[in-house]
Amino acid sequence: MQGIAGKVAAVGAGIRQYKRGASPLPETGVLVGAILDACEEAGFDPTEIDGFASYGDDHNEPVRLMPDLGIKDLRWCSTVFGGGGGGIAGAIGQAAGAILTGQASAVVVYRALVEGNSGRLSEAVMAHHLNSHMLGAGLVSPAQMCAIRATRMFEHYGVPMQTAEDVVKACYYHGARNPQAVTYGTEFSHEAYEKSRYISEPFHLMDCSRENDGAGAILLVSAERARDLKKQPIYVLGVAQGAAKGWGDLLENDDDDQYASAGFKSVAHHLWRQTGLSPKDIDVAQVYENFSAQAVASIVDHGFCSWEEAGDFIRFDNLIAPSGRLPINTSGGNIGQGFIHGIGMMVECIHQLRGESANPVPGAKICLLAGGPGAPIVSSAIFANEIPA
Amino acid sequence: MVDVASLTSGADETYFEGLLCGEIRLQSCAGCGVSHWPAVFRCAECGSWEHEWNAVAPAGTIYSWTRTWHPFSGTEGFETPLVSLVVSLNEVPSVRLLGVFENKDVDPRIGEQVRAETTSVEFQDRSIPALRWSLV
Repeated sequence: MQGIAGKVAAVGAGIRQYKRGASPLPETGVLVGAILDACEEAGFDPTEIDGFASYGDDHNEPVRLMPDLGIKDLRWCSTVFGGGGGGIAGAIGQAAGAILTGQASAVVVYRALVEGNSGRLSEAVMAHHLNSHMLGAGLVSPAQMCAIRATRMFEHYGVPMQTAEDVVKACYYHGARNPQAVTYGTEFSHEAYEKSRYISEPFHLMDCSRENDGAGAILLVSAERARDLKKQPIYVLGVAQGAAKGWGDLLENDDDDQYASAGFKSVAHHLWRQTGLSPKDIDVAQVYENFSAQAVASIVDHGFCSWEEAGDFIRFDNLIAPSGRLPINTSGGNIGQGFIHGIGMMVECIHQLRGESANPVPGAKICLLAGGPGAPIVSSAIFANEIPA
Repeated sequence: MVDVASLTSGADETYFEGLLCGEIRLQSCAGCGVSHWPAVFRCAECGSWEHEWNAVAPAGTIYSWTRTWHPFSGTEGFETPLVSLVVSLNEVPSVRLLGVFENKDVDPRIGEQVRAETTSVEFQDRSIPALRWSLV
């Protein structure tokens, strides 16, 4: 392996999640708490944090976090372009780049979202994308934009709609077994899924992730420094971010071969090439599902199966821990665990590879984080609990 | 009077001017003739900054669709449920345009032939020129 593989590690992860509208503190306060949680489990002095990276237009400028965390010297901070979750894994790549080039030594990747402070996420995301062409067609929300792509996938490529339902079912299955999940104790029912109201066809309400209040934070340091900390380091093997030509134009005019995809054509290619890995090497995956069909497209984009094979591969039994061929969203994902703009899925990568998941995959060594699908810029990352040979 | 410049931050002002005149006008490069959509300022194929805008027939093929039931903020100008289409133009199939579907009580199907009329949609304090598609 080349590049950043094994050189940077996540040494702490913190997440604080509440029902939307129920956060006990404003956004910055919740975020400070999540960062302290990440530092505490690592045994890391938060005053030594010297870098930050985020995505999705997080409102918490790192300099505002310095007083509460006692940070002495902020050396670097950055964010990934775009209003959606497409940049989530890209933020890990930025952090790794800063650490490897000596611009920072301890970087927190974070996302915080409290409705009272940042408003509804769906509206903030759309503010990036909306143009007169969309408004004139009544298309104003991420749900509609993803729905219209999903129609193409189901109708034109003939992907069975059951695949999307099975993704939702897998999220509920894992969420039902995770005490930290909003769906804890709630078993999926086909009847409830079918009966949940249509939002934008083909999406029922249960196909959509629903916003929570909260914050999540991952602390990253060099692999060398990670050895001195309390928790098992989880290494970054690779990160890719971007868009291929013919993707991301905001006028539904993406190239025909990419239109129904989740936008990972080039990113998946770069990720596999960078790491020398292939889909068969992935033990478990956190597949960002803003909407069910986009997770299906993301699984196809990353090469786990083709459009034609999707109906066979993306089946409930294959998607669940401990023994599915590709257990996904083992905390419950955005749909089952809760949705703080996807940061919970990054935290689950760390928990799963440390053996701390509520739905452990026995012996899992390598975890894929497939970032927010369908965004103009998308990104994905691979984590591992061993340094590759 | 619609302020066309307020409708776009891109290179497609002429498109909206066309809709106001009841036409679909599309951009092609004056240097090499390549069709560009979304509209561009510069043609990356030949480097030209000069473009032509020509009217095309308002006829197309349904490429994808969704029927919206949730009363999203911003859809107040429409009756819900509302059907939105992506339509590939028959004269220039590589170009797809958006619009609402008039035959809202039927399920559209990918591949069906549709025809557009220009219309306008009220959004907040603006009037937006748009397309309304019907089955042929």
